[in-house]
Amino acid sequence: MTERLWSLVEVLSASPTLAIGLTLGAFFAGNWVFARMGRPLWLPPVVLAAVMLSATIAILSLDYARYQDGARWLTVLLGPATVALGIPLYQQMHHIRALWRPILCTLPVAATLAAVYAVVIAWALGATPEVLASLAPKSVTAPIAIGITEQLGGSVPLMMGGLLITGVVATLFVDLLAGLLPVDDERILGFALGLNGHAVGTARAFEISHTAGAFASLGMGLTGVFTALILPLVFHL
Amino acid sequence: MPMLRGFLILVLFFLFGEALRLVFLIPVSGGVLGMIGMTLTLMVKGSVSDSLAAASQGLISVLVLLIMPGVVGVFFTADQFSGQWLAVAVALLVGTFLSVLTTLLLMKFLVQGRNRSQAND
Repeated sequence: MTERLWSLVEVLSASPTLAIGLTLGAFFAGNWVFARMGRPLWLPPVVLAAVMLSATIAILSLDYARYQDGARWLTVLLGPATVALGIPLYQQMHHIRALWRPILCTLPVAATLAAVYAVVIAWALGATPEVLASLAPKSVTAPIAIGITEQLGGSVPLMMGGLLITGVVATLFVDLLAGLLPVDDERILGFALGLNGHAVGTARAFEISHTAGAFASLGMGLTGVFTALILPLVFHL
Repeated sequence: MPMLRGFLILVLFFLFGEALRLVFLIPVSGGVLGMIGMTLTLMVKGSVSDSLAAASQGLISVLVLLIMPGVVGVFFTADQFSGQWLAVAVALLVGTFLSVLTTLLLMKFLVQGRNRSQAND
């Protein structure tokens, strides 16, 4: 009986349903705990959900590669979801038109510095070239960042880790600095969230408002395109 | 049903973006190329259909769910950080703080400068 119970995980994980069910379950559980904790800014629901999901995978002694295989049924939707960001972008076009000059001036400087700051600090602390290449695209949305890291010769899992941490801390720092500087223009906050914190920041911006979300989508998209074009050139210098 | 029609449009734009990327060897993901294509198409067309708006809202609201499987990977590849975790952590924390500060200050300065010059006009 116990033996059959244990082999259950093995059998069920042969189909993607288990991975999808676990991910969905952790997503709702993360949101629930987040609400119960009084929505703390320093602990976004995505981190709560990821911790619970990792713990569950470890407890079930489910092979991570196998989980990842099943979860691909969810992650393939990232492509169409990225396309979907074009719709709020279009709906907020009048706001974006009004600010196109500040946006175009800020983008190249901020997107370059987002990579340069991290690489220079890590280099000064003695990180290897492989680690530097994994950190460089830290502010770029995952599907683009994977391409950049492979091109630069970095490690994709290390990059994904850096990407998540960057997204979470960028969200925290935007909220923190918004109060300190102060900046209350939700268009600026949204743009900063998308530029520095990619999809995690954009998800946060949509919580602020539709306008902030549209500016975050814009920041994320422009940073992705700009970094993908510039970084491989700069990195080889 | 209408939402599925919108989803089909999103998928078609994504595939179109992927095709562009592969044929012209553009170092940008198909999703972003599709997003740019979508925005340009809507600007020409001048309106968003209800089904497309419904499908995009649905997908955007579960964006976090879609990145979760990648996020979980951090916990299973953490040993790759070993030995260099200090450099990585400081670079991510301080680097991100500085880049957020730069973006906010730059945007704030430029937007205010713009407003001031408009007020003078």
